Amino acid sequence: MTSRTRGLRFRVTAAFALGALLLFGILGSSVYLFSYHYLVEQRERSLVGQAYADARVVRDTLARSDEVKEPLAILDRVPGSNAVVRWRGRWFGTTVASPGATVPDGLRRLVEAGSPAHQRIDRSGVPTFVVGVPIDEVGAEYYEMFSLLELDRTLRTIRNALTAGGALAVVMAGLIGWTLSRRVLRPVADFASAAERVAAGDLETRLAPGADPDLASLAASFNHMVDAVERRIARESRFVADASHELRSPLTTLATAVEVMEARRDELPDRSRRAFDLLRDEVRLLQRLVEDLLELGAAEAGAEAGAAEPVRLDELVANVVARWAGGQPVAVDVDPCFGEPVLADKRRFERILSNLIVNAGTHGRGLERLSLHRRGDRLRLEVVDGGPGVPEDERQAVFERFFRGAAAGRRAGSTGSGLGLALVAEHVRLKGGRVWVEDREDGAGARFVVELPWAGEPDAGAARAGVRT
Amino acid sequence: MDAVAPLRILAVEDDPRIRATLRLALEDEGYAVLEADSGESALELHSRQAVDVVLVDLMLPGMTGFEVVRELRRASDVPIVIVTARTDSHDVVAGLEAGADDYVRKPFVVKELAARIRSLIRRSRGAEGGSDAGSSPGGPPVVFGAVELSPAEGVVRRHGKELALTRTEFHLLCELAENAGLVLSREQLLERVWGYDYFGEARLVDAHIRRLRTKIEEDPSEPALIVTVRGLGYKLVR
Repeated sequence: MTSRTRGLRFRVTAAFALGALLLFGILGSSVYLFSYHYLVEQRERSLVGQAYADARVVRDTLARSDEVKEPLAILDRVPGSNAVVRWRGRWFGTTVASPGATVPDGLRRLVEAGSPAHQRIDRSGVPTFVVGVPIDEVGAEYYEMFSLLELDRTLRTIRNALTAGGALAVVMAGLIGWTLSRRVLRPVADFASAAERVAAGDLETRLAPGADPDLASLAASFNHMVDAVERRIARESRFVADASHELRSPLTTLATAVEVMEARRDELPDRSRRAFDLLRDEVRLLQRLVEDLLELGAAEAGAEAGAAEPVRLDELVANVVARWAGGQPVAVDVDPCFGEPVLADKRRFERILSNLIVNAGTHGRGLERLSLHRRGDRLRLEVVDGGPGVPEDERQAVFERFFRGAAAGRRAGSTGSGLGLALVAEHVRLKGGRVWVEDREDGAGARFVVELPWAGEPDAGAARAGVRT
Repeated sequence: MDAVAPLRILAVEDDPRIRATLRLALEDEGYAVLEADSGESALELHSRQAVDVVLVDLMLPGMTGFEVVRELRRASDVPIVIVTARTDSHDVVAGLEAGADDYVRKPFVVKELAARIRSLIRRSRGAEGGSDAGSSPGGPPVVFGAVELSPAEGVVRRHGKELALTRTEFHLLCELAENAGLVLSREQLLERVWGYDYFGEARLVDAHIRRLRTKIEEDPSEPALIVTVRGLGYKLVR
């Protein structure tokens, strides 16, 4: 349950982050491309303008004198730029060592052919913008190189800012997804815990409809289901209660009347006495049958919520054996740890144990051995008899109601209700345990094994405060 | 049994067949049986004639068994045994809360019912200082908090005012007082006060402890005299 919830949350968070990444990726690249083009174009335009202006100065100077050095001295003032002039087949440059070599050939050819041109080049690691302007009036070509380092730095800053912003957005989106999914999934967790409570028998559990229409309809369906379950359980337990009353009233009359007659049994004529004995035995069987049926019905209807209470299981076992084992010698092996109270459903435990003992008596020639141990988080009860055992193919079926095995197809002799083991199975099931039957090691009888979840010990404080009297 | 005047049992039961067999069985045990087929007639009968024990079926037409118990308790501490045919324990607890001393389930074994009745009568007789002194609690008065218990007189006073306890409540209190400071398990109390074996139901004790608390505690929801020792039982704090 938990791992599934986490999975869903993880997926929602991942989807949020991925969405943010995609969105920001597209947005960021667009912003970057747009600003790149805008900035580069603007810068280039202004540089071209400047180159033209400078070329005009060079033209005017060259028209007046033969000296090239002078206009170039003026050009020196342009920071970060280098000017080169080709005049009368010779190259002149300000800061450039070999001016002719720095101008790319393609560009030079274009300018020589009489058309102004510009180009981006990489000058020993420095991005550079070269503008070439033909100065036809004096038969010269003017080239100017501008460093684009500044522009590159600006663009890199923008790129970095966008990347950092994008990363932040992804993290934020992930966080939002995580938080949001918890809020979104809270109703799911509520549903789960509500369903759990209902399963545990708390039928008062209802979900608040909440404001969200989608969840409200789900909550309404859930509540509707619990209503139906509750109605059904109420109907069933009412039926059990009614049946209980309707069956017990005549049985009370029968049982009481039989007791009254029992006291005068010796006064009865022989034939009446024989008839009375049959009547008495059958009334007792009927009584047991009704009790067991009602107990089964009550257990199934969940009418009795058996709560765990502190019980001294060693005492309980001793008392139940004394009452039901019919006085024959029994080897009882109870773990010494049960000398202290442990949490157990006393009534159910008593019913499980007594029914197994009675079963051993009626079908297994009497109880021989009984052991109760703790195995980790389980409580293991073994009831061993000295009877014929249970054939392989009947080991499931013995726990069914009114099961009569091939060997036991003799209602005549049986004094059981046929429900004892079904009751055991039902009580064990309700406690979340297991019950099965197997051969004892020496093959001379059956061993019934019950495993129940360990409910724990009463809190230590109470145990310490205990005074044995 | 008392040969001169048999003890009288008032059986409140709407089912005439059960009433008839009950009469036969209890008469066999040596009791005189008065019958009432409804709560109303039972109360009317009880007001006219002294009875030693009342058996009340909880499911009665008209006035319910609980109401009968409550009405009887208003005026008298006559021992009351409730009889129920239902499986759930709700009725039993409610009946005990209303003031019943003990309960049996249908179908009951008359021998067991008779034993319950005998135990109840022994308790109520003992308190009257009658013939059956052996089982009567005795000993010097005991004082705890504002409560003074005088087993010999058979009275309990709180702030000097006599409290109306039923005989069962009184015996339960005596048992706790005798072992003041010690924890008594529910099983022990069932055996000593009600005469049950191990399989008696702890609810009987719990319901009586609750009733006793409402009478002797300053604040029954925060008991200071009869405390619950979780997992073990009850203890009277001196």
